Amino acid sequence: MSTVLEQIEQQIAKLSAKAVRKNTGTIRTLADGVAKIDGLSDVMYNEMVQFPGGAIGIALNLEENEVGCVILGDVSQLKEGDEVKTTGKLLSVPVGKALLGRAVDALGQPIDGKGPIDAKETYPVEKIAPGIIERKSVTQPLLTGIMAIDSMIPIGRGQRELIIGDRGTGKTTIAVDTIINQAKINKVGLASGDPKFRPVYSIYVAIGQKNSNIVRTIAALENAGALEYTIIVAAPAADNAANQYIAPYSGASMGEWFMENNMDSLIVYDDLSKHAVAYRQISLILKRPSGREAYPGDVFYLHSRLLERSARLDGKGSLTALPIIETLAGDVSAYIPTNVISITDGQIFLETDLFNQGIRPAVSVGLSVSRVGSAAQLKATKQVAGKLKGELAQFRELAAFSQFGSDLDAKTKSQLDRGARVVELFKQPAFDPISIELQVVTLWAMQKGYYENLTISKVMSAAASLRTFMTTRHDTLLTKIRTKAAVDAEIEAELKTACDSWQSTFSA
Amino acid sequence: MSVQSKAAEQFARQLLKLSVVDGSVSPSQVAGVLEYVEAHKPANAVMVLNAYKRLVSAELSRSAAIIEHAGPISDAIQKSIAATLTAKFKRTITTTVKSNPDLLAGIRVRLGDDIFESSLSSQLTSLAENV
Repeated sequence: MSTVLEQIEQQIAKLSAKAVRKNTGTIRTLADGVAKIDGLSDVMYNEMVQFPGGAIGIALNLEENEVGCVILGDVSQLKEGDEVKTTGKLLSVPVGKALLGRAVDALGQPIDGKGPIDAKETYPVEKIAPGIIERKSVTQPLLTGIMAIDSMIPIGRGQRELIIGDRGTGKTTIAVDTIINQAKINKVGLASGDPKFRPVYSIYVAIGQKNSNIVRTIAALENAGALEYTIIVAAPAADNAANQYIAPYSGASMGEWFMENNMDSLIVYDDLSKHAVAYRQISLILKRPSGREAYPGDVFYLHSRLLERSARLDGKGSLTALPIIETLAGDVSAYIPTNVISITDGQIFLETDLFNQGIRPAVSVGLSVSRVGSAAQLKATKQVAGKLKGELAQFRELAAFSQFGSDLDAKTKSQLDRGARVVELFKQPAFDPISIELQVVTLWAMQKGYYENLTISKVMSAAASLRTFMTTRHDTLLTKIRTKAAVDAEIEAELKTACDSWQSTFSA
Repeated sequence: MSVQSKAAEQFARQLLKLSVVDGSVSPSQVAGVLEYVEAHKPANAVMVLNAYKRLVSAELSRSAAIIEHAGPISDAIQKSIAATLTAKFKRTITTTVKSNPDLLAGIRVRLGDDIFESSLSSQLTSLAENV
């Protein structure tokens, strides 16, 4: 009772306080979601300003005579001469576990029709990235469930790994597969009751995408049971450029909450090419000087300050980033792709040719790299897939060379045959990530030649059959591989027995 | 902003400096400035005069406070507000009163870009935002 009375008294004290000072301005011009405002002499850079009708703006250009603001929300009711007020606050979004399973807009407001979000905290959208003292090296794996990536281009928690490729090469699918795999791992880990288990929560930021595509992604996550561990931040193509510009920063703030609170999180920016385009639009309307491809001079900083926020913190959690960039005709030397390649810790390059040949995921082994992930790769994966990247690269070279002639020596033929089998083995359907223990089994069988007597077209079905066999009959062995995370003599012996037994049934 | 409008803006600022005496706009100085512009016809004169008008208007609004009130307001209160603002901003500030029933109770003082408000309407709005 006394607490209630105290609250009322505090409110009365607030009401009887002295006069409140507000700084105001008037809209001079308004175009494409950007307002030029007279006045606002006390406004701070990046401060939230209040427009009539509840619309919010951010002060981006503080000039001698006017203030340039981007408006987030409905601008249709605003007109020249309207009064604008400063708020003294930086733009903030709700953060926390209450957002999991929800789809929100760039300001963190729900758009999924599931009611209000009961978030207790808010984080500023723009935040300085953690410094070098707070950071820790990447040593823990973040498993994507995609064999080609986990074995050859491993990703660690806190890493920034770019997914780059032309349109329709499966970039979003890789990101969604990774989110689904985190959910699968979370379910197994949380059910095991292991106190050391650290779940990974995911944030999917859709920038400038078609609403139908966003709905499809949400449906895929929901069908896979991954939505409950995921936050969707949507700034679709129909949203104004300001919302598309701010959405990745909002998502990063939501991810930072997990990182700061000793949890691990994964954020997907789909995609940063459209983000750069939205920022270019804003900058041109704000009359900022334009540079190469009409992008403003600070387009590098736009992405570097965003991606630098992903880190693994000492004594806290991590935020792993999977930014996506769309290239035109495979041109990785364009302005935005080169910028983001140089900021990230590696890239997964997807090739249209491979995709059209039916090699999916269409990961280009030669152009893809993970700069820090190998330190985070599990010992078991290293044991079974340590040399695969080199072998595959050699295979591609030999395959190209062998097109010129038919007389090949036995060694080259065997290398080509093995390479073709590995390529076939890495083919994987969308939205069906494979657990790490099954990946180890599949690759171990490859290493030991269990697929060598099969025709190449049957390798994929044989591997799938082996995985089904192991899941149904050797669950204990799989658990052992998962917990030990290495292939020792005992596991190797058991694997041999299991694979021999599978081979007899499969051949039969 | 184009090169011409930038130059016009800079010129208008110089004219404004000449128009301000002891922290407030002097009508005689303004008249002198206008005479000079008429006599010398600078490039983009219309642009310069428009910018000058905007700057002078902003400067004047910084020295002329508008007191909006709901309910009666005495001359003593008006004088007290003028004296307080003059002391706070260290320049002579004149006041004009204007009735605004939307405030419900209390006053709102508008001086340049700033609004000082102690009204029931603003407190109710703030209460609604906090609840």
